[in-house]
Order: sequence, then C-alpha cells, then structure tokens
Amino acid sequence: MTDHRRTLTLTAVLSALIVVSTVAAPMVSARPAHEIPVSEVSTADLAEPNADGWEAVPASDVPLSSAPSSVPNADDTSIETVDVQAARTDQRLYVRLEWQDATRDMNASATREFADAVAVQFPVNTSSRPPIAMGGPDNRVNVWYWSGSTGTQELLAGGAGSTTPFENPTVQANASHSGTGSNATWTVVYSRQLDAPSENRTDLRTDGDLDVAFAVWNGSNGERSGQKAVSEWHYYPFSGGPQGPPYETLLWTLAGIAIVAVVGVTSFGIYRTQGAE
Amino acid sequence: MSTDQQDDQGEEDTLVNVADGVDHQVAMVMDLNKCIGCQTCTIACKNLWTEDGGSEYMYWNNVETKPGEGYPRGWEDSGGGWESSEHSDRSPGEIPDDEDYGRAWEFNHEEIMYEGSDEPLRPRDGAEWGPNWDEDQGAGEYPNSYYFYLPRICNHCTHPSCVEACPRSALYKRQEDGIVLVDQDRCRGYRYCVEGCPYKKVYYNTVSKKSEKCIFCYPRIEGEGPDGETFAPACAEECPPQLRLVGFLDDEEGPIHKLVNEYEVALPLHPEFRTQPNVYYIPPFAPGQHTEDGETVDIDRIPRQYLRELFGDGVDEALDTIDAHRQRVRQGGDSELMELLQDKNPAKQYRLEVFDDD
Repeated sequence: MTDHRRTLTLTAVLSALIVVSTVAAPMVSARPAHEIPVSEVSTADLAEPNADGWEAVPASDVPLSSAPSSVPNADDTSIETVDVQAARTDQRLYVRLEWQDATRDMNASATREFADAVAVQFPVNTSSRPPIAMGGPDNRVNVWYWSGSTGTQELLAGGAGSTTPFENPTVQANASHSGTGSNATWTVVYSRQLDAPSENRTDLRTDGDLDVAFAVWNGSNGERSGQKAVSEWHYYPFSGGPQGPPYETLLWTLAGIAIVAVVGVTSFGIYRTQGAE
Repeated sequence: MSTDQQDDQGEEDTLVNVADGVDHQVAMVMDLNKCIGCQTCTIACKNLWTEDGGSEYMYWNNVETKPGEGYPRGWEDSGGGWESSEHSDRSPGEIPDDEDYGRAWEFNHEEIMYEGSDEPLRPRDGAEWGPNWDEDQGAGEYPNSYYFYLPRICNHCTHPSCVEACPRSALYKRQEDGIVLVDQDRCRGYRYCVEGCPYKKVYYNTVSKKSEKCIFCYPRIEGEGPDGETFAPACAEECPPQLRLVGFLDDEEGPIHKLVNEYEVALPLHPEFRTQPNVYYIPPFAPGQHTEDGETVDIDRIPRQYLRELFGDGVDEALDTIDAHRQRVRQGGDSELMELLQDKNPAKQYRLEVFDDD
C-alpha cells in the first residue's frame, strides 16, 4: 500500500513538473530569433537616448549585413550589429537603437562628406510582409529616418528608388553620440503615436505582430543610399499571449501532452506490475 | 573614333543618332580657335545660375587651359562613363574633393580696408589651388611652348552615365530636346551622378544637399524671359568672339549638323568615355614650331597625339579637312565649311527657331 501511494505521488509530481516546464520553456529561454520584445509601460520617460526608463527595457542584438543593391560599393559596409529596444505606452511606441561608430559624422557640407544615419522600416499594411528592400509597388513601407545632416524624416517607399519624404514628419527622433574611440556609440530614440496619423503611415495599434527592419549608414565610410547595413525582417510581438509564432505554442503543447501520457502509462504499468505481486 | 553613328535604333529619314525616347537633341559646337580665355561665358553662367549659397564653388561653365589639370583638378582621370559601347556597365568614378574644385579663398580685406594694414591685398593661408590656377601654363619648352583654352559645359550626352548612376532616377533626359536635368524634388544628395559623370559636370550643392548642373539655359531657349523672347544659352550669347553655335544636332539645315555629321570637323571631347557628348569642338590650330633662330618649321606645335587623346582619332581627319578648305579659299575657291566657321550672322549661329515648337 505505501509503495502504491509513493508511486502515485511520484507520478503526480513528475507530471506536474513536465507540464510546468513545457508551458514555461517558450516563455523563458526560446524567444524566437526574429522577435524583438516590446515592454508595455504606463508612463514614459523614454524620449531621450539616455532616459532612465530604458534601463528596464530588454535589448535585442540585431545582426546587420550589406544590403543587396546596385549602387557602387554596396557590399562595403561597416556596422555589423545594432542593439534594439522597444517600449509602448497606451499612446506611443518608442524604439531605441544603439550601435558602435567611432566617428560622429553630422555633416554633408563638403563634396565628399556623408552623414551617419539610421532607419526603421515598417509595412504600411501590417497584415502582410513587404519585400525587405524598400518594399514593393503593391506593398509599401513606412520608414523612420534620421541622419546627422537632415535630422528626422518620415518616408514612404514602394520599391528601391521610390523613397519619398512625407512633408510633415510625425515621428520624433533624438540622437546622441557618446564615448570615444572604437567604443563610441550612437544612440537614437524614435517615437510616434500608435494611431496612424494619416494614410500611408503604419498603424501601430495593431493586434497582430508588427514586422520591422533596421538599417544603419556610416557616413565616413561613404555609406548612403543602398550602401547600407541592414537587418532581415524582425517583428514586435503585439499579438500578446504566449510569445512566438502560434505553431510554436501548439508544438510545445502537443509535446507536453505526449510526455505526460508516456509518463502516465509507464507509471500505471509499474503500479500494475507491483500490484500483481 | 570617327563619327560612328550607326549603332542601333534605325531612325527614319535621318542619320542623326539621338537617344531613345528623345524627340530632338540640343547641341553646341565650340570653335577652339576663337577662344581667348576671357571667362565671359563663365561669369555669364555664374551670374545667372550659381550665385546662391552652396554653389559658390560651382562653374557649370568653365574655361580651362589645356594641357592642364582642368576644373575640377584632374577630372580627366576621375573615372565615370561606360565600360563599353553597349552602355550596360558603368565605369566607377570618384567624387572630386573640395580642394580639387578649389575653395573660395578668404582675403585680408578687413585688415587693409578697416585696420590700416599696409600689407598687399592677398588671400589668407591655404590658397594652394583654384580654378585656372595653371591658366596659360600649358606645356612645351620655349620657343615651342603651347596651350589653348577649352570651354566646358555639361555635354547633355546621348548616353548620360550620370542619369544611369542615380538609383532614384532623379536625373533625366528631357524628351523634347535631350537636355539632362536634375529633379530637385527627387534628389537626395547621394552624389552617384557627381562621380558617374566622366566630365565632372554635375555638382553637389553643399547647402541644399542636392546635385545641380548646367541646364542648357532651358528657360532662355523656351522664351521664358521677361519679354517672352527666345535666347541662346547665356554662355553662347555673351561670348565676345562668338565661338559657339547652338541648335539641334538633328536639324539637318543647321550648321551644327553640317559641321558634326557632314564635314566631321566638330568632335566630341574624350569620346572614349562613351557617353556620346552633344557638345562638339573644332580642334585648335597653332603656328608651326620655331627653331632657336625664330624660323617657323613644319612641325605641329600642339602634339597631334595630345589632340587625339582629347578628341579621339577623328582629329587628324578633321584638321586635314579644315586645312584643305582653307587652301581652297586661299586660292580663290569657295568653301561652305569656311563660311560656316566664319559666319557672323547670329540667326545662323543660333538656330533659335528650332526650339519654338508652338
């Protein structure tokens, strides 16, 4: 009888542990590679690159590589990674980008001078993912752009070469270059209201995941136009609930049920064998 | 290179090769034998188009001494143009440095005018290069030194590599007359056009952060002036020796077509860049070389090879043709070519009626 009870208890504990771990695993360790978490915050002290509010917001390391482009020297880019943080209040989305760049290139006032720049790209229509290189004619992108020489611009593009600035940007950007030598970094914070301010601007109050991509230009390396370091498409998980694409949760659930079933059947077998003695 | 006009597009009724999608092609012929290097064209252009902030350093029209570094310094070796006459692969180019264009110097006016300094008026430090720094220097040894002046504007090429270089199609060739323009609304200051033009005739405005270039004075040829009258480009009209002819390349009644396509005495500059310029030059003649004793001998003062480098192999035939017609006139004969080259009738020099399409 005591043996019987011990076996049952063990089975129950084991099963419970397995269930807990299957549910918890995707939330803790396996954040999907292209997901960039967004912190929901109630009040925002986030507009400045060095605002205290950013300390609590997790950062993602987004790898960059040279964009495919027909411009000369397109594969000569120098920025390899950008740290991305994102936070959302019930009114605004804040995106903070930080990358290493030893030179602070703020001007394009000489014939060979180009300014550092950074951009965030969203689909105009958040229900489908546009071609990564400036979108396509039927699937346009909204780009938040900041450069040392032009300041903030809000752009619309429907394919390479079609980029057009909106007349009145609704995006705010604040930039700061800090540190010295090779450890010096640029930090740029963008923010915009969640509601789409007009047609052809991305609605950030979407309930689905929001695709997003990043680009960085190093002015002193002559980078401009298609000569830029870009990310692949990533996404902000605005769909809520367990994070990650739905199929992942489904797979974990199925695996959990299967494990519980196997453990249950095995325990029952042992119990039966012992009971028969 | 002789005028090799027969590549593609099977134009009806004309031998003149204008670009695809272009109705007519503006053109200019400049007779280098008439240029006195006075820079009146340069100033006429500057006063009209490049006086605003950011364009101080630009000379859409410049006159440089050849042989010489030119403006911007070393432009002939700065790349650009096409790899082959297929016009499919562009040759990469470089953006000239501010110093190569020559920065505006600062002078000691303040000290002299207001502070009583008695030093001579001169540029402050850093005046080490500028447009025409090597003016009249030329090449060769006394008594056989030589030079000539080369006025340059945008060539409004038939195959403009600047247009092809722009990833945003901000540069385009006007359908009505083939003038190459920069759409200031589309330009984002990338400067691929600046590096892609082998003649370095597209300039970056450091204030507007957009590129600019010679517009062939299109408002003048369109009759957009205050009195609605049509004028040739300012560089042509203001030229004291009137060395420029203006019209359409495909106007078969005009002097440009005759000089370029019939007599083949007007040649493009650096045809090896393969952009097919629409500014043509009558190559320069110079007196023969002199001996130590001052005797003139029958040796070219300007080395023929140098002229071939500038104007292609067609220069030999062009000079021979002009020489032959000169002889003919000297011996009392008639020559349409000599008349074309000496015409003083502005109505014939500037075929303004061809621009009037309404």
